[in-house]
Amino acid sequence: MSKEKIAVLMGGRSLERDVSLKSGERVCAALESLGYRVLPLDVTAELVETLRAERPDACYIALHGKYGEDGTIQELLEFLGIPYTGPGVTASALAWDKSLTKRFIAEEGILTPAWITLTADAFKEMGAATALDLMPEAVGGFPVCVKPTKQGSALGLARIDGPDQLAQALLDALSYSDAAMVEKWIDGCELAVSVLDADDGPQVLPAVEIEAKSGLFDFSAMYTRGETDYYVPARLGPEVAAIVEQYAARVHELLDCRDVSRVDMVVDADGTPYVLECNTSPGMTETSLLPMAAQAAGMSFQDVVERLIRDALSRRG
Amino acid sequence: MGTARLVFDKWEGRYAARIRDVRSSAVRDLFGAASRPDMISLSGGMPEVREVPAHAVADAAHGAIVHAGTQALQYGSSEGRVELRETIVELMAENGVRVSTDDIIVTAGAQQGLDLLAKTFIDPGDVVICEGPTYLGALQAFSAYQPDIRCIPLDDHGMRMDLLEAELKRVGVRGAKFIYTIPNFHNPGGVTLSAERRRRLLELAREYDTPVIEDDPYGRLRFEGGHIKPLRALDDEIIYLGTFSKIFAPGLRLGWMIAPRPILAKVLLVKQAADLCGSAFAQVTAERYFAGTRWRKVLQGLARTYAVRRDAMLAALDEHFPPEAHWTRPEGGFFVWVELPEFLDTKTMLAEAVEHGVTYVPGDGFYPDGRGRNCMRLAFCYAEPEAITEGIRRLAEVLEDRLELYRAFIAAGALPDRSEGAA
Repeated sequence: MSKEKIAVLMGGRSLERDVSLKSGERVCAALESLGYRVLPLDVTAELVETLRAERPDACYIALHGKYGEDGTIQELLEFLGIPYTGPGVTASALAWDKSLTKRFIAEEGILTPAWITLTADAFKEMGAATALDLMPEAVGGFPVCVKPTKQGSALGLARIDGPDQLAQALLDALSYSDAAMVEKWIDGCELAVSVLDADDGPQVLPAVEIEAKSGLFDFSAMYTRGETDYYVPARLGPEVAAIVEQYAARVHELLDCRDVSRVDMVVDADGTPYVLECNTSPGMTETSLLPMAAQAAGMSFQDVVERLIRDALSRRG
Repeated sequence: MGTARLVFDKWEGRYAARIRDVRSSAVRDLFGAASRPDMISLSGGMPEVREVPAHAVADAAHGAIVHAGTQALQYGSSEGRVELRETIVELMAENGVRVSTDDIIVTAGAQQGLDLLAKTFIDPGDVVICEGPTYLGALQAFSAYQPDIRCIPLDDHGMRMDLLEAELKRVGVRGAKFIYTIPNFHNPGGVTLSAERRRRLLELAREYDTPVIEDDPYGRLRFEGGHIKPLRALDDEIIYLGTFSKIFAPGLRLGWMIAPRPILAKVLLVKQAADLCGSAFAQVTAERYFAGTRWRKVLQGLARTYAVRRDAMLAALDEHFPPEAHWTRPEGGFFVWVELPEFLDTKTMLAEAVEHGVTYVPGDGFYPDGRGRNCMRLAFCYAEPEAITEGIRRLAEVLEDRLELYRAFIAAGALPDRSEGAA
């Protein structure tokens, strides 16, 4: 007797569509090999009709970017009464907005680099561009990272070393999101720390250390084989590793990231970790970080997928 | 009811390496969106075939079967019917080019000519020099053979010869397999290579011993200004691609290639493998059309129609487009090329434009390397003048929205103001 019917949601019209399709295809293959009945679905105008007609037992969310990670699809599925994988509406909305995430965790004493966020409206309606001279000092000087507050896969992200590049970088970032962040750039060891919920609390998987050969872990470095070196577990001393693990678990809990999350951090030259952001729908492609970390913890790709789908199925009403 | 069900490509991973690099054509994909009734399409480069006299074409086709049926319905020679090649010899003579029928192969449109040349010349990694931007169909044809494409920028007088020289210096004598150019009413640029630059191009091509492919679909669609001789009229080693698509109709899929005989011989072998021979029926029909119809009058009428449409587009651009936009003013052909401030992305803007009821072709399709993000190609050949005006107006609304933010930065002095000055 085959197991439950699972709809795998992927694609959609976000800028990360292709990444999502790759994640989704892998997840479909894994679910099929585990004996589930699999329904691969693109997020299109026919989605709701299709879900109501097919009545899956649960949805696996393999969507990245807007709609998949910001709470939209989560809220919709709750409305339709279909359980789904991963964090709920609030956690997704909080984690999707990097600025909000940072504000939230900073209040709880978790270190994150100094930053300023400005919305497109502040520029259009209030003349915020005239205050750009205050900019680098407000976050502790150059270099800074300019990025859209609500976007994934490093799209619209740039490292800025001087004032003349700042305006263009802000404009680029604002073409991806309605707000842009200027954040102190911290040179150091970049980490991706994945967390899965276990019976006794969050289980932090081995941290993955990321070294982009170009020096910038951008879209190309993320999804093109050979452009980045990964070290699992990360090459950290025991004290730093302990703090990193604590931070990841804490962020996961604070944001209420049910079942799964991936917390991205940077450890500076003094060994101080800073949290950059939290992802509630981590990539599951062949170059993705969560599967890599799981493998280091002795879990296969299928183990991860099975765990997440069983978590979702346990929430059936 | 539609469905959201996805079907994966189960043959993924089994395709040839050369296919991985083949680019989908943004123009072809758009033809779907453009077919909605309310949509104003400024994207497709489709000729105004409604002005081609249907009865004359019907007569020609009818005659092809009734009077030449055993030829029109049979396999023909790979190089094409000699009668059609004779017609082409006459067409080229009017253009100042003296060739004989042995210098010509009939192809399935100039597009096939591009594909055959790519197949004949390009090994993976070979350097090929094009204009930047260049014809999207050429990039499609070339990319299947995995070249290293170098782009030379255009200005109002066509390809920049100083930059071409610099590139040729870099790659050296015979360093590039060929230089590909569209000298007349460039697709997508709209500009025309000046007579002086044509001479310079030929000098450089000889100096660096590099073949030149001259692609000339629009040469006979000049609205004003003086006719400039094709490169082939000045140098008989030039490879020339012509087409019947704009001087007759694209539906027949008929074009031609003129090249030095050794090159033609190689291309012929490759062509035989591709299609055995072209459509004899189409060729006989074309021969009869050119022999029996006042096709020059038809063409003159068409040129006037296109000129009126170009005028409508330029007037609408002048009236509605923001000062930060720059565009070319073509003296013929089908297209206007628009350049916008660097931070604008015409690909992501397209979705919004479609929602506003207008389509165009985003600029990055006309470069091999992702440049052209802030540009777009506008076609005036197909829509009526009123629709063109309205389409530009709709497009301007989309632009205004994007530019509000940009202007806030300029006003604050945070960015240099580039709204004055040439494109």
